[in-house]
Amino acid sequence: MSDLFSPEMLSFIAAALRSSTPVLLVVLGETLTQRVGVINLGVEGQMLVGAITGFAVTLASGSPTLGLLAGMFAATLLSAVHALLSLYFGANQIASGLAVLILGAGLSAFYGIPYVGEKISGFGSMAGVPLLGPLLGQLSVSVLIALLLTPLIGVWLYTTRTGLAWRAVGESTESARAMGINPLLIQWLGVLVGGLLSGLAGAALSVDYTSNWIENISSGRGLVAVGLVIVARWNPYLALPAALLYGGSEALYLRMQTWGVGVSPYLLSTLPYVIPLSVLVVTSGRLRQRGGGMPEGLKAVFKGS
Amino acid sequence: MKNLFITITAALLAALCGQAIAATKVGYIYVGPRNDFGYNYAQDQGRIYLEENLPGVATVSFENIPENADVERVMERMIRSGVTVLFPTSYGYLDNALKVASKYPEVTFMHSGGFKLAPNLGTYFAGIDEAMYLAGVTAGAASKTGKLGFLAAHPIPQVLRNINAFTRGAQRVNPAITTTVVWTGTWSDPAKESEAANSLIDSGADVITGHVDSPITYTRVAEKRGVFSVGYHADASKFAPEGWLVGAIWNWGPMMVNIVKSVEDGSWISGHIRGGLKTGDSILSAYGPSVSSETQDQVAALQAEILTGAFNIWQGPILAQDGSEKAATGAVLSGTGLEGMDFLVQGVVGQVK
Repeated sequence: MSDLFSPEMLSFIAAALRSSTPVLLVVLGETLTQRVGVINLGVEGQMLVGAITGFAVTLASGSPTLGLLAGMFAATLLSAVHALLSLYFGANQIASGLAVLILGAGLSAFYGIPYVGEKISGFGSMAGVPLLGPLLGQLSVSVLIALLLTPLIGVWLYTTRTGLAWRAVGESTESARAMGINPLLIQWLGVLVGGLLSGLAGAALSVDYTSNWIENISSGRGLVAVGLVIVARWNPYLALPAALLYGGSEALYLRMQTWGVGVSPYLLSTLPYVIPLSVLVVTSGRLRQRGGGMPEGLKAVFKGS
Repeated sequence: MKNLFITITAALLAALCGQAIAATKVGYIYVGPRNDFGYNYAQDQGRIYLEENLPGVATVSFENIPENADVERVMERMIRSGVTVLFPTSYGYLDNALKVASKYPEVTFMHSGGFKLAPNLGTYFAGIDEAMYLAGVTAGAASKTGKLGFLAAHPIPQVLRNINAFTRGAQRVNPAITTTVVWTGTWSDPAKESEAANSLIDSGADVITGHVDSPITYTRVAEKRGVFSVGYHADASKFAPEGWLVGAIWNWGPMMVNIVKSVEDGSWISGHIRGGLKTGDSILSAYGPSVSSETQDQVAALQAEILTGAFNIWQGPILAQDGSEKAATGAVLSGTGLEGMDFLVQGVVGQVK
């Protein structure tokens, strides 16, 4: 037990949580989007727009809170483009998502140029909190937000009436309509909530985690998150362990190098991808017998109907 | 209306005269943003120095230009607008620059770091490992834990040279000191750099330095965690006002002034210009508040020895991690041994492959 709370262990847990947070927020958002039967590959672009907007607003206002809110708002707007293209105009969801990804990457790179090399101050340290100070001091506000959101979204999705309505829409829009639900409205909301959370993830990355902006700051974490939604089986509770598989192995492989482990850094750097993949392979056989967890409505996207 | 007309005429006249006086228009192209406090920033500081120190020179510059046919279009557009000297500053621009250079023999091209030449294309670069050695001395004197942290992108010779030079500098002050290397596998990923710096600090390192695109992230993390930082590429002390020790930085300005001057007076010939600490093209930045005057004096004395040639940072004995001898006592590592460096010296914790 004493090992669990040693400073080394605490700092590793903190590092794993920090690395996982941006990914976890996107996984939560994309899970909700996919649970209403829509896939959005544009989350990477939305993260970037959230990151630059959050950074710019924090720089202008001096308030990281305002920065996070602005990042969420901007990414939600961009996700509305995906909703408009795929839900209103009936465009192919994969193509529309990729268009949003490229649009977000381009917009953030262009409007981000003057912000490179600027200095902002993120949130203050939480080291002063009694009892939990040693751990909280190594974490940041966005980590706590993500950790709180995970059970909240789980409880909401599985135990409330509106959660049921969202799940129903994802399984079958026809049945949902027969239940008196407006499926199009819920699908729009699903995409927008995914946009909101991807924006929070991006802003958390630039404002809270690194206090820095560069072009392509997300470095593919949005797309990794889309993959982790499958690892988590479209279940918001499993989003946390799935994100930890990625973030934890990223933190682990960087840490292993400081331990002087005699393993090639090239091999070590594949850990964040190899570990989630192995888990997917190991669990998928058993899960397929139980339907795999993929919403029925989402299957239609891949069958081209 | 009349006033407007007069203003426009005056502006046009001024522009015409300006063009007549400005003997040389110099163009700069950067692969990334000019404010990254890294490689591109250092090149742009050279441009600003050139404009301020060579009368009659005007400069234009473009940033974020990818290393493909785009840069050829940018070069041609600059040439059509009157640019006669071009600095394509990214290594990946070399083949594109050679292609455009063959089309415009009257324009002078100076590529940064390349190894190919054309009659109107030369290259310029500078070694920075001597400055890194001196920064290592500063770091060795400041460290209390005897552990230094080095955050690096890829194990290419230039990066390995910097790690080894930094470590050898620190060992001069404290022979038992170690440098732990964490490879991030990318030139630019602030989240990963932040975690790499944190893991180095958690392992006991109390001075953090690195060789990635921009020193901003690791200097910020070091400052937040209350440890020292040593910069690279450019002076990033504004991100670590307390913990900044010193930085090994580029100083392209004087070299660029000489290049443009030689083009203006017709003495320019195509070749590889290579500078370093001795020629003032790589230097040490200003010191941070915590560097003692004794350390500063020690570094100054050592720098003087390097400048006179009395001391070479690559003089033996140099032992690799596995104990193999890379340079014997009295010998000096040079040529391909330096250019193609593929080992880490004893005292470095980390893997090359």
